[in-house]
Amino acid sequence: MPPELVALQSFLSIGAVLFGVGLIGFLSRRNMIVMFLSAEMMLQGVSLSLVAWGRYHNDLGGQMLVIFIIAVAACEAAIALALVLMLFERKGNLDIAVWQELRESNQPPFEEDPPESEEAPADWPHLTPSGVLPKSVAEKESYRRKV
Amino acid sequence: MISPRAIIALGTALAAVGLWWLLPGSSASRRTLGGVLALVGFGFFGSQVPAVGDWCTKGMFHAISAATIVAAVATISCRKPVYSAIWFGMTLTGTAGLFLLAGAEFLAVATIVVYAGAILVTFLFVLMLSQPEGHTSYDRRSWEAMISAFTGAVLVGILTTMIGSAIAKADQLPPPLSGDGQGVIGDVGRVLARPARAGELKPTLQKPTISRLGAELFTRYLVAVEAVGALLFAALVGAAVIVSQGRAAMKQPDTTREGGTAHAS
Repeated sequence: MPPELVALQSFLSIGAVLFGVGLIGFLSRRNMIVMFLSAEMMLQGVSLSLVAWGRYHNDLGGQMLVIFIIAVAACEAAIALALVLMLFERKGNLDIAVWQELRESNQPPFEEDPPESEEAPADWPHLTPSGVLPKSVAEKESYRRKV
Repeated sequence: MISPRAIIALGTALAAVGLWWLLPGSSASRRTLGGVLALVGFGFFGSQVPAVGDWCTKGMFHAISAATIVAAVATISCRKPVYSAIWFGMTLTGTAGLFLLAGAEFLAVATIVVYAGAILVTFLFVLMLSQPEGHTSYDRRSWEAMISAFTGAVLVGILTTMIGSAIAKADQLPPPLSGDGQGVIGDVGRVLARPARAGELKPTLQKPTISRLGAELFTRYLVAVEAVGALLFAALVGAAVIVSQGRAAMKQPDTTREGGTAHAS
């Protein structure tokens, strides 16, 4: 087999694996930041394939397209992170599941699994209540669950 | 002798199960087992991925691609998003090494500077702004880990098989006369038409590649460069507007809500 075909196959295969791993991460992770990291990983896989094709055809067009991919990825990251920051300030949470009211109307709602039993504490120390119960603000409690 | 397709299919299945168990939401022992399974599965893949060059170049290619893929799997399976981001930096470094091996020196440097230097640091900034405690409940579970792992692994298996068969088909084609694909028939022939100077690889790290790239970028693609500059500027303004307008809208949410309902009714 001629060497340029071998090089093409090797780089295309690695690009395909990167794309697939990024796809799995984008589908399964719930943190919005990790989802965007996975999307960037898919872009990396595509860039690798483009560079391999450009090398195979002895053409600079592939590398040129990757330069533009990098520029567009920078734009995408800026806009996406601004949006993620705003979404975070609304709900106090990077979980994508808090935006599930945006789903289609015929989809069932997402229900949180019961928490893992191994993480439940055996017994917390119990304090006798003293003083007045502080006034609770509903908006604050939505993102300060631990307090 | 087992056929390459069977090895790829076996690697796909092993990698799918391994990734399913590696994703957040399973117990520690299953994660260890999943890591071993994914390593074995991707090892089967790697045994079917050829490399070119002498033993040093081949070893370099396999080492860099193994590091890239291990870092990619760690990116999607780490429970702490900060670790995910740092593993993603490792993936970027591996991709830059692969670019270097493929003869794209400028892209290797640009990937490190732009991705690892700017984009990744922005991701880390947002992570530290929004999740300073580092671990959360939703990072310990994942959506439909099994279905997504199998989807991705099957996609990779199909792509690898298709690439292998298309390359084998292109190997059977007669070398073109003029180099631009004339004389061969069919889609595979058109896309995979051998370059005119077939038979030898352009040596990587050739000196004038970057200068040729720059010359072509600022002559043939000049309009595209201008358009990308405008896009970057628009993205900058857009990001600033999204943050400032969003903050302003959140300060008086009642007025906007009343306005919206009044408009709707």
